[in-house]
Amino acid sequence: MDYGRVGRIKRTVASLCTFAIVFVSATCAYAIPAFTRAHKVECSTCHTVFPELNEYGEAFLKNGYVYVGKGKKKIESEDAVKAPVTAGEKPAADSVPASNIQGVGDAGLLDKLKAASLRSTEAPASASSPVPAALDERTAMTNQKSLSEGIALSGVPEQLPISFTANLQGTYNRDAVNEFDFSTRSLKLAAGGNIKEKAGFFGTYLLYTENVDKSANTSTIPTNMTGKTDIGELFFIWRHALDTGINLKVGRFQPKLGLWKSNNKVSIAHPYAAYSYTVGQSLFTADQAQDALEANMILANRLFIAGGAVNRKNQNTKEWYAHVSAKVGGADFLANEPEIDLDKEESVFDFLSLTVGGYWYAGTNGDPNTGVVVPLRQNKFYRAGVDLDLLYKLFRLKMSGIVGEDDNPELNYSEPTQKSTAATVELQYTVLKELIGSLRFEYLDVYSDGSTRITRRIIPTCAYTPIENLKITAEYMHEYGDVYDTAGKRDVSNNVGTLGVTFSF
Amino acid sequence: MKRYLVLAVYLILVGYSIAEARIKVTGRGDKMTFSADGIPDTYKQSFDLMLVKCIKCHTMERTVIAVQTGRAPITGQPFNKQAVKAYGIKMLRKPDSNMNKKEIRDIVVLLNYFLDENSK
Repeated sequence: MDYGRVGRIKRTVASLCTFAIVFVSATCAYAIPAFTRAHKVECSTCHTVFPELNEYGEAFLKNGYVYVGKGKKKIESEDAVKAPVTAGEKPAADSVPASNIQGVGDAGLLDKLKAASLRSTEAPASASSPVPAALDERTAMTNQKSLSEGIALSGVPEQLPISFTANLQGTYNRDAVNEFDFSTRSLKLAAGGNIKEKAGFFGTYLLYTENVDKSANTSTIPTNMTGKTDIGELFFIWRHALDTGINLKVGRFQPKLGLWKSNNKVSIAHPYAAYSYTVGQSLFTADQAQDALEANMILANRLFIAGGAVNRKNQNTKEWYAHVSAKVGGADFLANEPEIDLDKEESVFDFLSLTVGGYWYAGTNGDPNTGVVVPLRQNKFYRAGVDLDLLYKLFRLKMSGIVGEDDNPELNYSEPTQKSTAATVELQYTVLKELIGSLRFEYLDVYSDGSTRITRRIIPTCAYTPIENLKITAEYMHEYGDVYDTAGKRDVSNNVGTLGVTFSF
Repeated sequence: MKRYLVLAVYLILVGYSIAEARIKVTGRGDKMTFSADGIPDTYKQSFDLMLVKCIKCHTMERTVIAVQTGRAPITGQPFNKQAVKAYGIKMLRKPDSNMNKKEIRDIVVLLNYFLDENSK
């Protein structure tokens, strides 16, 4: 065995992992306290441990950063409401639109309602639920100070919808030059919200991430990463365009392919293999932020469809993608709770929810049309994947599988068409509300650097949030597998431990 | 003297308002909770259960205001009997809420009683 070569491979893999840790942590860790401030809700309303979303966070995301149910003016009278369970009484059939009962709404509107509208005949609270005068007056006084009609009418958020997320990590990798590396850090700015419920917006800007370039002298302080992609995402959503229920999204964002965005997971250091692998010289990944135009909509509350076109700079050919997902059990895509008969014995189906999604992406990349190389060396590729998200009480199972094909991944026509396969299985367990453990297994069969790599990863992770906007994550990655190239078959093995602290404010 | 007068008027107003509330409450702010006085014996056990279970993640003030105003204080959504059931289901499914179906049902029934009392 060529130990020198194995050592070089190990170092290369270690370097790639370190780079991946830096890059991923810099691009993916962003929860949005701006939403907490705007809607006056806890982080746990939308997150398990941030930034992983729960089903209410998913609904918020799908609804263009508007609280689902907001703007519904009609309020059912008590008479129209089915009496829920009462002692010794069987519940009647559901007679009220679920949109009126979900746990979402408009905190600002509530303030107004408390202050003034409670006296109005339009609000049922005033008619059926007297409010203590002192409470009413107290709220009114508060609102006089906090609510500006001018601001409300102009659609400008009362508070600047900006958040910051800082991420500090230490890694241990015995194959790396710097075995104990505590220098990984990033600071990201994120902004998001809606404009009078007609539009939504979201953006992230990477303020700082450690420079991964080697410095000539270790006495220098590492600088900001050069050549980084400052704007991770920046997009605008026209909600329910022309009152059709279709949302139009334009800007730079992750095209809706898989069920989860790249940061929507417990781990902070290791992206899902199915979403993040690259082939040859092509840097395309399924979770890559792209300049795109997307249309999406929710059908029958439990079906979500999306499709769009991606534009590559200096390339005439557009890329296309489509996504469809459906959910059974649990809250629907509009955050309506499922109908459960509380008088019956507990059933498995009371706690079970299953979301299944599929996606397809086809594109071309390589030499720009502005180049002088003729003919153009371009790579036509596609990806097709299936995801599954199963939730049962404290358990959550995430599965993701993807297949792909690249006809010219090295952009030199020297290699044949390359097929790729990746799969991820992750089991999570909520030990406590603030403590989640997960175990992930990944399989990867891709062509890279002139060789075919079949690797497997085992990634146990533990995330603890003593305070909802502070997360401590400990994770470990054991990677092993084989590399096939002209020299034959070689074993690869890599182990990286990561301890990270992430906080948002 | 003027300050004392304003303070006295404020205290009278506060006292009057609490006395007028259909649902009796005790405490103020985060300490606000439903008063155990006047709760029928059939609901006593559910009441004790609620006092333990429903303050794990939020204050009881949130529930009191929801019952009194008919609006969920955070979300602004109507807080009627149907909503109470929906919140019950949400809590049932919430990881680590540590409540079984019977406990949820008992508390839903109790909150329905509070809503009825509040609307009298």
